[in-house]
Amino acid sequence: MIVVMKPNASESEVESVIERLFAAGCDVHRSTGSARVTLGAVGVTAAMDLSDYEILPGVEHVVRVSTPYELVSRSYKPESTEIDLGSVVIGGDDVVVIAGPGLVESEELIHGAARAVAAAGAHILRGSAFTSRARPYAFRGHGEGSLEWLRAAADEHHLLVASEVMAPAHVELVARHADILIVGARNMQNSVLLTELGTVGKPVLLKRSPAATIEDWLLSAEYVAAAGNERIILCEQGIRTFESSTRYTMDLSAIPVLRQLSHLPVVADPSFGTGVRDKVAPMARAAVAAGADGLLIEVHQNADEALSDAAQSLYPEAFQQLMDQLRIIVPAVGRSI
Amino acid sequence: MTDSEPDVASELERLRRNIDDVDTVLVKLLNQRARWALEVGDVKSGAGVPIYQPAREAKVLAQVQAKNKGPLGERAVRRLFERIIDESRRLERIAAKEREG
Repeated sequence: MIVVMKPNASESEVESVIERLFAAGCDVHRSTGSARVTLGAVGVTAAMDLSDYEILPGVEHVVRVSTPYELVSRSYKPESTEIDLGSVVIGGDDVVVIAGPGLVESEELIHGAARAVAAAGAHILRGSAFTSRARPYAFRGHGEGSLEWLRAAADEHHLLVASEVMAPAHVELVARHADILIVGARNMQNSVLLTELGTVGKPVLLKRSPAATIEDWLLSAEYVAAAGNERIILCEQGIRTFESSTRYTMDLSAIPVLRQLSHLPVVADPSFGTGVRDKVAPMARAAVAAGADGLLIEVHQNADEALSDAAQSLYPEAFQQLMDQLRIIVPAVGRSI
Repeated sequence: MTDSEPDVASELERLRRNIDDVDTVLVKLLNQRARWALEVGDVKSGAGVPIYQPAREAKVLAQVQAKNKGPLGERAVRRLFERIIDESRRLERIAAKEREG
């Protein structure tokens, strides 16, 4: 880190910054310029909070050189992480498609959805027993029983299962039935939940909060990794901008940015990201073209009647059409599906 | 190609050898200085005095600037000695850490 002192900083202010950096275990390179003093600190650890130095008297600003996250960074692990789930590998050559309804509304629905997405070529069935909704009066899932329906439906069609965890108390339960645990956008910064997910032996799909910077998001992933689970999948699903035509604005540039910053696989959820059915397929195609390792797509047999996020759910026919298009795009970017 | 070129090359080589000789002495002297610094560090930790002594550092910088006769400017001498002091401080810190175990 580099500490730039104010031009009028006194010698004792400079000295107290050096003293503090030195006490924190850093070596300090002092450079007295004609106008101001610059201090280069070597040996800055992830545990150091740079804002502690920004507020010291005489300091103008502090420039970060290293990243605040470590385990999830590309510099920590140069080779890309591949998450091997047996029948599919996320982060390898294949583009992996996770599809299904937002919520497991009924046993019948989830079986129908499993059949439809498997026929179209999806690899993993999504469906949640618990979820967070914007309104407290909205349907929030059937809970434990629906996890069994989900598992049975997936098994019947040789699909894997991805399902949401809302609270630390659900982690063990959902992990018993699902192959991938989804952390929703509203829980992205729930550090208690993230820490709990570090101790579970299942991969975690961490959705991006619409108000999170890429750094915030990677710091959340760092929580999971620091707690012992490095099998993390990052899921881009839009950020809040001034544009109101879609729910959020899909930040597709996050995909190549993350590729550089992190070794973790990156997938995209254009259903949640756009919130509008006819925008889902175009953004799904774009995400794959931008290098996403996979997609999360909401599919519902009676999309208009879906009990959650009806407007963003695709009918099975539209999903099939999207899968056909992906089979053309995927080889063009050097992947397979 | 001109006749003077080989002369330039040999003149440069002669001058550069002089620089190399000075560097050899400089490294020796820097290490001699570092050894004294380590002894100072020993005394400091024996007496429980902090390694970082800003007043002493300021005095060292003032002394070397006062003794400077150029062609290096005062600021240049200060910048060079700041680096020397940075490394002394680092050396003392590492030695103190090793003593602590």
